[in-house]
Amino acid sequence: MAPAELNLTGTKVGCNQGDCGACTVLLEGRSVSSCLTLAMEAQGRPITTIEGLAPSLSELHPIQEAFVQTQAVQCGFCSAGMIMSAKHLLDHNPHPSEAEIRQGLSGNLCRCTGYTKVVEAIGVAADKLGGASAKEA
Amino acid sequence: MKTNNPQLIGQSIPRIDGPHKVTGRAIYTDDLKLPGMLYGKLLRSPYAHARIKRIDVSKARALPGVKDVIIGADTPQIKYGNWRLVPESQDELPLAVDKVRFIGDEVAAVAAIDPETAERACELIEVEYEELPAVFSVEDACAEGAPLVHDISKGNVSLVRKISYGDLEGMFQKADYVREDTFRVHAVQHAYLEPCASLAEPDEGGRITLWTSTQTPYLVQCLLASTLGIPENHVRVMKVMVGGGFGGKMELRPWEFCAAFMARRTGKPVKFTLTRVDELAFGRRRHGMTLYSKVGLSKDGKLLAKDFQVMLDGGAYNAMGPTATFLCGTFGNMAYRLPAYRYFGRHVYTNKPPASAMRGFGAPQAYFAMESQLNQAALDLGIDPIDLRIINAMEEGDVIPEVATVSSCGFKQCLEKVRAASGWDEKRKNKKPGHGLGISAFSFISGGVFNWFNTKYNFSSVEVRVYDDGTAHLFSMACDIGQGTDTVLRQILAADLGIGIDKVRLTSMDTSNTPKADLGSWGSRVTLMNGNAILDACRKIKDMLIPVMFTQFDLNQIQDIAFEDDHLFVRSNPKKRLSFAECVYKALRGRRGEPLSAHGFYTPRNRGLVSPAFSFGAQVAEVSVDEQTGLVKVDNIYTAHDCGVTINKRAVEGQLEGAIQMGLGYALHEQFAMQGGRTLNTSFLDYKMPTAQDMPPSVSLEVETYEPEGPFGAKEAGEGLAIPTAASVGHAVYEATGYRCQDLPITPEKILRALGKLK
Amino acid sequence: MATSHFALHQPQSLSQALDLLEMHRASVRLLAGGTDLVPKLKVGALKVANLVSLQGVPGLGAVAFDEGQGLVIGGTARLAQVAALPEVKRLYPGLAHACSVMATTQIRNMGTVAGNLANAAPSADTAAPLLAYDARVTATNKKGSRDIPLAQFFAGPGLSVLEPGEIITAITVPPPPPKSGSAYQRLSARSQVDICAVGVAASLSLDGQGRLAHCRLACASVAPTPLRCLEAEEMLSGQAPGDDLLDRAAQAAAAAAKPIDDMRASAAYRRQMVEVLSRRVLATCLAQAASLAQAQGGAA
Repeated sequence: MAPAELNLTGTKVGCNQGDCGACTVLLEGRSVSSCLTLAMEAQGRPITTIEGLAPSLSELHPIQEAFVQTQAVQCGFCSAGMIMSAKHLLDHNPHPSEAEIRQGLSGNLCRCTGYTKVVEAIGVAADKLGGASAKEA
Repeated sequence: MKTNNPQLIGQSIPRIDGPHKVTGRAIYTDDLKLPGMLYGKLLRSPYAHARIKRIDVSKARALPGVKDVIIGADTPQIKYGNWRLVPESQDELPLAVDKVRFIGDEVAAVAAIDPETAERACELIEVEYEELPAVFSVEDACAEGAPLVHDISKGNVSLVRKISYGDLEGMFQKADYVREDTFRVHAVQHAYLEPCASLAEPDEGGRITLWTSTQTPYLVQCLLASTLGIPENHVRVMKVMVGGGFGGKMELRPWEFCAAFMARRTGKPVKFTLTRVDELAFGRRRHGMTLYSKVGLSKDGKLLAKDFQVMLDGGAYNAMGPTATFLCGTFGNMAYRLPAYRYFGRHVYTNKPPASAMRGFGAPQAYFAMESQLNQAALDLGIDPIDLRIINAMEEGDVIPEVATVSSCGFKQCLEKVRAASGWDEKRKNKKPGHGLGISAFSFISGGVFNWFNTKYNFSSVEVRVYDDGTAHLFSMACDIGQGTDTVLRQILAADLGIGIDKVRLTSMDTSNTPKADLGSWGSRVTLMNGNAILDACRKIKDMLIPVMFTQFDLNQIQDIAFEDDHLFVRSNPKKRLSFAECVYKALRGRRGEPLSAHGFYTPRNRGLVSPAFSFGAQVAEVSVDEQTGLVKVDNIYTAHDCGVTINKRAVEGQLEGAIQMGLGYALHEQFAMQGGRTLNTSFLDYKMPTAQDMPPSVSLEVETYEPEGPFGAKEAGEGLAIPTAASVGHAVYEATGYRCQDLPITPEKILRALGKLK
Repeated sequence: MATSHFALHQPQSLSQALDLLEMHRASVRLLAGGTDLVPKLKVGALKVANLVSLQGVPGLGAVAFDEGQGLVIGGTARLAQVAALPEVKRLYPGLAHACSVMATTQIRNMGTVAGNLANAAPSADTAAPLLAYDARVTATNKKGSRDIPLAQFFAGPGLSVLEPGEIITAITVPPPPPKSGSAYQRLSARSQVDICAVGVAASLSLDGQGRLAHCRLACASVAPTPLRCLEAEEMLSGQAPGDDLLDRAAQAAAAAAKPIDDMRASAAYRRQMVEVLSRRVLATCLAQAASLAQAQGGAA
């Protein structure tokens, strides 16, 4: 699958071998490596890419906001994939432990951050999202 | 120590480019598309060493959709290399002409309407090779009668560096304790997440615009122009976002040349994008080295002499190897007082992918040897390893002979801080089996002084323009490759002019529109050098604004003007104030419309030949080793470092955290499986950089000093931190198991074998 | 190498899928999760004219447990699905472990258990625990279905006994006997992502006298195929468990391994780790079984 063919360039190709996680998207709500998915196989199934996460051009999704605030982004090439993996994780486990966050990120390689601030950002996002849903309830 | 830093200094200002990067709106080179763009592919050598006898491109050319096919004979055949100061070191051609020197050496390039066609065309190029005997290790390359990788380099040694001072023999005589060790360290890769990509667009008059994933646009501009045989000003190099570099993107590369060359031939834009296989199998690496070290100490632990002899495995071309050869010798004596020192470094060609600069630039190797050896010496002398370092540590005002004067140094504080934070003393007293603590220290440069690129320009240059809407525009060739300089440089400018950081617009890294020059992002130079250039420009801007204040308020000569909170005011009477915007307006009027603009420059002068400033640090690693499987688990890392005054706290922490990942990979997991000259592990599945789950908890301890040569007292925080981990983990593994690693990486099998536990 | 060109078929029923396999048998491959196949297609390492996707075939994606039949894993059930099922975590901890630590989250969200077996890689992570659980593979072709014990399924590196035209429609794992324990452990340089350098799974149960009633030991990455260690199993069954016995069984397992040197580990290391891991998984199994025995004994 090549999101670039749809003029969506947010999803990055870091290895094209299914090993780095930079191209992670959500297919039917599950994080998958888009480089391992055939475009025809994905047709007609709901896909969320990084472009679809923020509610509007001027607003960020809480995960994105946390990534910016904590400086979990350096070169940014892995960020889209990291954030989609984080979304998958928090959708399935809204209050993950640090170990669970690390496990949830283990399919996303990063060479800049040592993952420390990425783990922190997801914790911050979980708190924000958890707070919001608690209020709704 | 200076304390009146503006508010912005030290703040964790979020990355300016953060929102773009987290929403996927950030554009990287491969995302760029131009009308009519062609896709380039490279044909590479399947042999480690071979003479090219014949190339036939007719079938490739005939394939529908192929627009251009080039081989070395089609090109101007002008050699290039970063060491313009020593022209004979420039040993590379974009496409091989006479022979190929490593598996992956570029032989031909194709431009076609789509990547698949380009790839098929490459498969249709027929090359007849005559295979030649090859050398794959420095020992083989230097052996009597070894085949020559380059005919002009006898014995395959391309460059030699010698350093010598003090009475070496006399000091060894005096020493109570002398030991000799030989260390071997391996090649690893930058493994930036963004594979290299370049897009060249032909302009009128044969000019070229090149967007490329680089950390040195100015170097690429100069070398591309000289290799194409056209004026420098005909080449415009720009970058969009760069997905990491770590030293791996700081040269002219064949695909940059081929994109530009074929764009000129076809009149169409040409883009090359490398694959991860290209990167891992054929890309630049950190030098593997063989390091012989002899040290002499007095019985009370004073370092007296060191004899350091290093062979660098340079691979097939010089690349940044000469610099690594120089710096490795410098790092061999940088952290400690050493009365006598001799260094003999040799850069050796082998038929492998070229090694080049990688985060630390000769330092991870030199310090692994130095620090491992010191730990052994400490044990033998019965001195605590941290005490041994404190006995010998550099201090402020110390002189590194023939190198530099250390004008700020928090080294001893770093050592004391990691001792306290790690619980060093108690834990060493109550040793648990399979468990150990290890120490290592480092010192690093803040940018290089030695002008190997032989630039005619200042090392860093900026232009600052200010406007009567209260904003400023910074033009800088500095190159943010993910480390955050676009944010930090704005912070420095905003802090000095006393305006909000949101008021600063930045145009960065466009060789046609940002002032000449900036040597790029390497050697931890940007914050110090570009920051100083900004301060120089700001001083000139202030000289244009201050007269307005003096006229407005009819001030006495002795008054001082402050720049804070988007205002200028009289320091002794803050009520006398004008907004920054108003002040610029009045100045513009006074200048009869001439815009307020100033250039700022920095070149280190009278700072020795190595670096204008030095950072220091120390690290304790705590590990557990499974004595049955040999697996090492790093339980904790404690790092203290002196990077001068911190400009952006979280950005500095990010450097440390990332450096530990790289250092840990170097120590434990990352290596190339080589068979002859062939790289076997060409995916991230088997090139094992640590994942989020492999990272230990880490404690960061800052020791703040004030570096007089740095902007607001800052110095390096980028590379030095990648240095200590191999030796600190190595020492901890020794404490846990008794296995002393002198041969990186530390693998489970090596541990078990050394302990006699692997049958 | 350039990308392969192929036709992708997306049948909407099992019989359509079987027809397509038959029709294109000259050059056809099944596509399930795609995590092994797609990278090979991309670099041209696999040339095939037709792909038959199982994505749209209804009824193959379920994972279910019942006490009579045991665990039934549908032919397109994904690794993550198996790992998440509470009964798998409780009753088949070795399989749960394999399905939750192998590869990456993304790949576990795509890859299927059937695909992991059908590829027949010596390092297949699910194979060792499934061998230890006496799993059976149900292969279906146009004529009907047959059950293949997993122990007879692998024929060599990348080879299985599946015939052309057959699809794995289910993997059935019998319910664990009472007072039993099972486990899987793997070693690799990094915590995850890696292909395992060595993996060992075991399952065992205790009889009324506390002797080993039934025992299975299986390894990954140490032979041309995933391997049952029959000698070790025989040595254990019927015996009263003790340190010495477990040591000897672990040694027998190591002796049965036929590892190779490769860039992930040396043969010598692999063989020795079979012993270390065998000893560890057997101890884990025994502890589980003993605690169950105590609980069940107490209840009785």
